[in-house]
Amino acid sequence: MASNLIREWNGIQQFPPSTQTKLLELLGKFKQENVSSLTILVMGKGGVGKSSTVNSIVGERVVAVSAFQSEGPRPVMVSRSRAGFTLNIIDTPGLVEGGYVNDHALEMIKRFLLNKTIDVLLYVDRLDAYRVDNLDRQVIKAIADSFGKGIWSRGLIVLTHAQLSPPDGINYDDFFGRRSEALLKVVRLGARIKKQDVQGSAIPVVLVENSGRCNTNDSGEKVLPNGIAWIPNLVKTITDVVSNGSKAILVDKKLIEGPNPNDRGKLWIPLILAFQYLFVIKPIQRAIKQDIAKEEKPLWELRDMGLSQRQF
Amino acid sequence: MAFSGTAQLLSPSLGPSLSSPRRVASSSVSHPTASLCRPPSSSTAIKCDHSSTSHPLPDPSICFSKSKTLAALPKTLALSAASAFLFHLSSSSPSILPLASHGSGNGGPVGGGGGGGGWGWNGNGGGGDNGGLWSRLFSPSAIAGEDESQSQEWDAHGLPANIVVQLNKLSGFKKYMLSEIQFFDRRRGATVGTEDSFFEMVSLRPGGIYTKAHLQKELENLATCGMFEKVDLEGKTKPDGSLGITISFTESTWQSADSFRCINVGLLPQSKPMEMDPDMTDKEKMEYFRSQERDYKRRIERSRPCLLPLSVHGEVLQMLKEQGKVSARLLQRIRDRVQKWYHDEGYACAQVVNFGNLNTKEVVCEVVEGDITQMVVQFQDKLGNVCEGDTQLAVVRRELPKQLRQGHIFNIEAGKQALRNINSLALFSNIEVNPRSDEVNDGGIIVEIKLKELEHKTAEVSTEWSIVPGRQGRPTLASIQPSGTVSFEHRNLKGLNRSLLGSITTSNFFNPQDDLAFKLEYVHPYLDGVYDPRNRSFRASCFNSRKLSPVFTGGPGTDEVPPIWVDRAGFKAGITESFTRQSKFTYGLVMEEITTRDESSHISANGQRQLPSGGITADGPPTTLSGTGIDRIAFAQANITRDNTKFVNGAIVGERNVFQLDQGLGVGSKFPFFNRHQLTVTRFVQLKQVEEGAGKPPPPVLVLHGHYGGCVGDLPSYDAFTLGGPYSVRGYNMGELGACRNIVELAAELRIPVRSTHIYAFAEHGNDLGSSKDVKGNPTEYYRRSGQGSSYGVGVKLGLVRAEYAVDHNSGTGAIFLSYREIFFWTCVLALGRNLEKNPKFVMSTLPLGLS
Repeated sequence: MASNLIREWNGIQQFPPSTQTKLLELLGKFKQENVSSLTILVMGKGGVGKSSTVNSIVGERVVAVSAFQSEGPRPVMVSRSRAGFTLNIIDTPGLVEGGYVNDHALEMIKRFLLNKTIDVLLYVDRLDAYRVDNLDRQVIKAIADSFGKGIWSRGLIVLTHAQLSPPDGINYDDFFGRRSEALLKVVRLGARIKKQDVQGSAIPVVLVENSGRCNTNDSGEKVLPNGIAWIPNLVKTITDVVSNGSKAILVDKKLIEGPNPNDRGKLWIPLILAFQYLFVIKPIQRAIKQDIAKEEKPLWELRDMGLSQRQF
Repeated sequence: MAFSGTAQLLSPSLGPSLSSPRRVASSSVSHPTASLCRPPSSSTAIKCDHSSTSHPLPDPSICFSKSKTLAALPKTLALSAASAFLFHLSSSSPSILPLASHGSGNGGPVGGGGGGGGWGWNGNGGGGDNGGLWSRLFSPSAIAGEDESQSQEWDAHGLPANIVVQLNKLSGFKKYMLSEIQFFDRRRGATVGTEDSFFEMVSLRPGGIYTKAHLQKELENLATCGMFEKVDLEGKTKPDGSLGITISFTESTWQSADSFRCINVGLLPQSKPMEMDPDMTDKEKMEYFRSQERDYKRRIERSRPCLLPLSVHGEVLQMLKEQGKVSARLLQRIRDRVQKWYHDEGYACAQVVNFGNLNTKEVVCEVVEGDITQMVVQFQDKLGNVCEGDTQLAVVRRELPKQLRQGHIFNIEAGKQALRNINSLALFSNIEVNPRSDEVNDGGIIVEIKLKELEHKTAEVSTEWSIVPGRQGRPTLASIQPSGTVSFEHRNLKGLNRSLLGSITTSNFFNPQDDLAFKLEYVHPYLDGVYDPRNRSFRASCFNSRKLSPVFTGGPGTDEVPPIWVDRAGFKAGITESFTRQSKFTYGLVMEEITTRDESSHISANGQRQLPSGGITADGPPTTLSGTGIDRIAFAQANITRDNTKFVNGAIVGERNVFQLDQGLGVGSKFPFFNRHQLTVTRFVQLKQVEEGAGKPPPPVLVLHGHYGGCVGDLPSYDAFTLGGPYSVRGYNMGELGACRNIVELAAELRIPVRSTHIYAFAEHGNDLGSSKDVKGNPTEYYRRSGQGSSYGVGVKLGLVRAEYAVDHNSGTGAIFLSYREIFFWTCVLALGRNLEKNPKFVMSTLPLGLS
């Protein structure tokens, strides 16, 4: 696949100079830490702007985006290298289909990711969706079940469509805070992350606006309503997550298929067998013997055995 | 009154015994040779086979006729035989025992002497005659015969009407028609009605045709029976030419008694009274009486205690107390009571033979209980001739209850049990258990078991042609397929009930490889030797089977899931030890090859799913452990069943526990090592005590059922436990709820009898305990199943069919189901036979009518 070939990251040149500087600075940081490649997995429900985000980060139109149709039915990896550093971004199809988590899509993603290492997970959702529901939870659970809970320590939540005017009476930061809080709660529930784990390293929430109508600041950087230039901010958060000390996720066969349930407890079988013999079969045999002893013999048989004593 | 006779007059030998203060009855002097043989009539499997017996016994032989095709028939036959038998006894019991009989026996065979058994005692010849009549009265076929004879003409008496005629004035050549019989009790000075117990003693009946000899014989019988001190018979001519008869009598009485003793005199030789010389002096007479008294005491001492319980004993005492004087009628009632108890308890050969010690404070009732002196097993060929059987005697003998052996008292129940046990061998086409009186030992019984062997070797070929739709749905000649079964059976090898049987079934003989079911089985019972009471049998079989896998079934609302067929072919060998009829322990080895195929018989390694686009993907859960669609596997299998259920008026009551274990040995594809186990516990709790007996209503029963299954180690999908279906959670289709590694099913059912059937309400729940994900490929989730479910509903049993309305709790909808098998009868035995039904709903015999 063409997109899998590692190309020079030319898109970076399209960013405004200040953004370029910040990005190169961050890349330099990676170099200092001897990290030469970074793999970002982008996941989320359908139509939330995953592909657009990928395009925004790379600075090229690498993935086809369509406003009304679901994009590619299969995962796509975009690899770009710049000054010896390789950035891999994996765009995935939407995880929700017809109100259910699309196991089929998840299965495909898993197989696509086989033998790859995921450094960062971007869980993409929209800022302008006001509510969270059970489906969000199921999506998060499905991700956690597929790649393990650990992936969320390498995850960050990306909220697209950040340029919006919040509903009446709420200011932007408040709205963002509430929305991210609600989502984080769902993530915690869905991925079954314990409270104390969260406090150590909270999952960061980053805002994104992929629209071409995005406001820009003086230096031409795309900025959010709160004035932050979001691309550098996103990359910075990514670097923070990468350097937060958690392990990258290597997707291997074992991870995809889960622990083989057929191997679990095999060693205990001899013990189980002994238990069954002693505590199931033997008691049943004893019960049968008791049945035989207790069996109500007809009177004629008892008389024959001389047990009647003329009582019956 | 020329032919009026007192007992003394008629039989000189009776004199001493009647006048004896101690004893009335004594024993037979002459044994008439009465060979009574009853032609087999419709209702009977009872034969009377007497020859020269002093205690004519009703001879219950229970026939057991077995047709090859109808296995259920023999049981009903046996039952009917038994009931007929009881009837027979009750019919003969009213025949009063003649209390003393030295009757000159009438020798000749008496036709239709079935009833003769209970009739005459001590071989009273007249008894035989009476018996003949009784049997005529009580056996339908005999009555028919009698009707014929009655249609013969009778002779008018030829005398003026309304005159009293003495018996000896009647003509010896005429056949008289009796139009009326009256009894006149001289002591009471009144005519007694037909309800009087004495009436039963008389064999003459109004409407019958008799000769003078008949009437004389009758009078003689009455006079010698010991019940009467004096008996007269006189006739009265009627205007229509028939004869009316008046029997006037004086009942014998003895002094009152206040104690009662019942002794078993079976196998004791009958004491023979010395002839008393009328010329004896008083001293000699005293001597004679004293010696008789001594003899009798010795006889009592030598006798064995009888089985009669204290309760009946008390009843008899009560009768004696109420009566005051011991009369013949009282003795008759006592005898009836005692005999009734014996016969009710199944001691069919028990007989009150004598009352002794009369005119003392104690009444001694002598009973022959029916001691078995010998047990004979006989084989018969097809024509009923005795022959040498192929079956070893020990095989039959071990099935016989020990109560049929020598030294025990014959009980009809033991006979029935023998019948059932022998029948369960499935070796004989006809089984008869036949007690007959021992000619050598008085009062003894010889139990004869007559067996007709079935064919040992059978081979069968059955064919059928099925016309299958060809192209355009039209049957064509080429598509007519010959199908059928070839089977052979070789039973009772070496006479030890070993058997070898095989069968091949195919739906197309031209292409048998498509669809071939075979089975070859060898059964070797009595593994520990035929004399060892331990009942273990070895069984080995080659088999194949084809079943639709319920693992690959869609959940509610999903598109039809392409079916996966699981073909098994293999070899199985095991040992079964039976502890009781129902409880057993089986352990053995199974080696099999499992092939999973899709609809078009191609081997398929993964489950399939229909895509919304209409295509089919085969990326589902793996069907086999090896992942290739073919598994070879060897494992050990054990199954222990404890079952103490029994029927209370047709309702099952008791407990059934089954534990089944499949232990993988690491032999086979991918070295499967596993421990798959399941425990089923079912309780049938009787909620009300009811009286047991035929025709009584069954009790309400609460059924509690629990099933746990689990597997540790390698679990291929075809061995996963499936949830849902009539034997798991009713109201769902087979496997509709999931396929899992661990399973729990709980059910409760309340059965309430209504008339001859019962209605029931049930609630059931099945749960995968979250173990669906531990089945490789998670078929539960793949086919969108919930992994758990409950249902409840009500139903009614209509004959063999259970019709029920079940509500599926997951969706809240109900449907009506019909099923044909007993539920909770589920045992986890590896299916050996091939299930030819293609529809899974038919496999489980359930037809949802879809009223949801």
